[in-house]
Amino acid sequence: MSGKAGAPAEKKEKKHRLISYERRKSLYGYGFISLWLVGTVIFFLIPLGKSLWYSFCDVSVEPGALRTKYIGMKNYFSVLSEDPYYTDYLLDTLLETLWKTPLILIFSLFIAVILNQKFRGRALARAVFFLPVIIATGPVYRIISGDMESTGNSGAEQFSTMFSTNMVGDLLSFLGVYEISQSMTEFIIAVADNIFGIVWSSGIQILLFLAALQNIPSSAREAAQLEGATAWEYFWKITFPYVTPFILANLIFTVIDSFTNPMNSVMNRIVAMKNQWEFGGASAMAWVYFLIVLAAVGIISAIVNKFIYYEND
Amino acid sequence: MAENINAPAPVQEKKHPGSREAKRIRRESMSAEERSYLRRKAVKDRIWPFFRTVILLGLGFVIMYPLIYMVSCAFRERSDMSDPTVMWIPRHYTLDVIRETMDAMDFRRTLFNTLVLNVGCSLVQVISCAVTGYGFARFRFKGKKIFFAIVIMMILVPTQVISLPLYTQFRYFGIKGLFSVNLIDSRLTMYLPALTANGIRAGLMILIFRQFFKGLPREIEDAAYIDGCGPFRTFVRVMAPNAAPAFLTVFLFSVVWYWNDYYVSNTFFTNTKTMALMLTNLDNELKIRLFNDPTVQISPREQIVWKEAGCLLSIAPILLMYVFLQKYFTEGIERSGLVG
Repeated sequence: MSGKAGAPAEKKEKKHRLISYERRKSLYGYGFISLWLVGTVIFFLIPLGKSLWYSFCDVSVEPGALRTKYIGMKNYFSVLSEDPYYTDYLLDTLLETLWKTPLILIFSLFIAVILNQKFRGRALARAVFFLPVIIATGPVYRIISGDMESTGNSGAEQFSTMFSTNMVGDLLSFLGVYEISQSMTEFIIAVADNIFGIVWSSGIQILLFLAALQNIPSSAREAAQLEGATAWEYFWKITFPYVTPFILANLIFTVIDSFTNPMNSVMNRIVAMKNQWEFGGASAMAWVYFLIVLAAVGIISAIVNKFIYYEND
Repeated sequence: MAENINAPAPVQEKKHPGSREAKRIRRESMSAEERSYLRRKAVKDRIWPFFRTVILLGLGFVIMYPLIYMVSCAFRERSDMSDPTVMWIPRHYTLDVIRETMDAMDFRRTLFNTLVLNVGCSLVQVISCAVTGYGFARFRFKGKKIFFAIVIMMILVPTQVISLPLYTQFRYFGIKGLFSVNLIDSRLTMYLPALTANGIRAGLMILIFRQFFKGLPREIEDAAYIDGCGPFRTFVRVMAPNAAPAFLTVFLFSVVWYWNDYYVSNTFFTNTKTMALMLTNLDNELKIRLFNDPTVQISPREQIVWKEAGCLLSIAPILLMYVFLQKYFTEGIERSGLVG
């Protein structure tokens, strides 16, 4: 820290009168971010640029060096049209993200609303529902979700059969629920089939929504109570507007999380390519993927931003 | 259940029940609409807790299921895996599996290594990210928007994209033509990025700190400036103490992320042992240690006992931390307004 403080301070002494307060403050700003700036050039920007360069090159590995030969867009064409897996995986991942993200958001908002109510054992319930935050980013999750190699998956299989489609249908008809619409039934079945993945990937989202719910001023709640609002009205008129900014944050977080998840098939394909020393192809794949993610996040935030309610604005 | 906020209760109605007489009078003074509203509410208040319990128990089971299964598997003999009558409760209890797995993972040394690496990296990364976040939150300078866009890029770009160039970067670390060092396998591959706010999920952490510092009132800083503190002293003496809960929460998350990381450490370490790496390589390690033969075939079903024992061992420390520090994980985020 002292080393960084030195540079701007010296300058300050030299032309003390010449530098305005604003300018001095901006120099301090550079001082604060300088450490990160140096690191990000070395550990982020240069590697990023290199990988972009590789994607336009035929990369061969020789002892002590990587040899690159510029071949233009050829890597991109071969990845998109010749690679047997890549486009399929890409579509799969996109589709999965497309339908899973809303489910995760709805689910986590629902759970957050429940966990925000007062009841006995709430602390324990919260502790349990945040548990995925601790575990879901690590290799343990790969094992328990049955993704790891051929073995450990019997547990997960056993589990998913417990929540199979039939059981849900049976349960619904047992409860005498025939009249709900077809799409609703499909929704419930989709949730039930993937309940494991959804519950395990909504830890952070629940946390964020819960924080949002606790930011709702008590005056709003009291006003709603005095007016005799029902729970349904309360949710749509009070809760929902207040959590909309967090819906955007959660939406983007969920999308990025599912795209950058090392378990998704595109990532696996990229890593596999890399392990075969096909660096050019792997980089091209990674860049196509990254541009799609960027576009997706951009579109989502542009759309959702229109529907957000900001209290302060 | 008067506290149930989603079914708003008419204020004061429940808190002062009063005598039966008073109740009757109040009921008579109500309109039919009010009465039906209260009746519906009473029914809902009775039924909703039941449904809530069912939902929470069911979903809680989904989360706890793998953990319960882990415990159940780790303490049974492997023959129990092939026994169809054993589902949850093992027939033969044994600590052998745990002991063998601990042996194969070199548990004590791995634990020590991982802890030192994680806590060290998290510590420097939290500090560097806080400094950077503060710079973005409070100062105006040229190119700030571009720099901040880079921070966002850091969140968006998956590590896999840059891991290969990063590898060559570390393999020949230095200035081209002058000197270069091989940093692969050295812990510096973890410490250097952490020190410069570029480690695991550093972008997210910078963003969090920026939001947090933006939320603090400017007055405290101005007071410090007027008293003659420079910006750096102000940050250390005034802002950092105010941000203590935020520091703790981000630090805990950082420890978890470093603990769980296996991709980055797998790329840069070939023989440094961390918990996540040992777990991913557990299969081979076990075969070598237990049977002295990497080609031996154990039925996949029976391998589960070791695998689950490995899982249990590798998350036990962090689970323990979670149990004791749970309120800092969750309340830290809520109280300090880290989000928003």
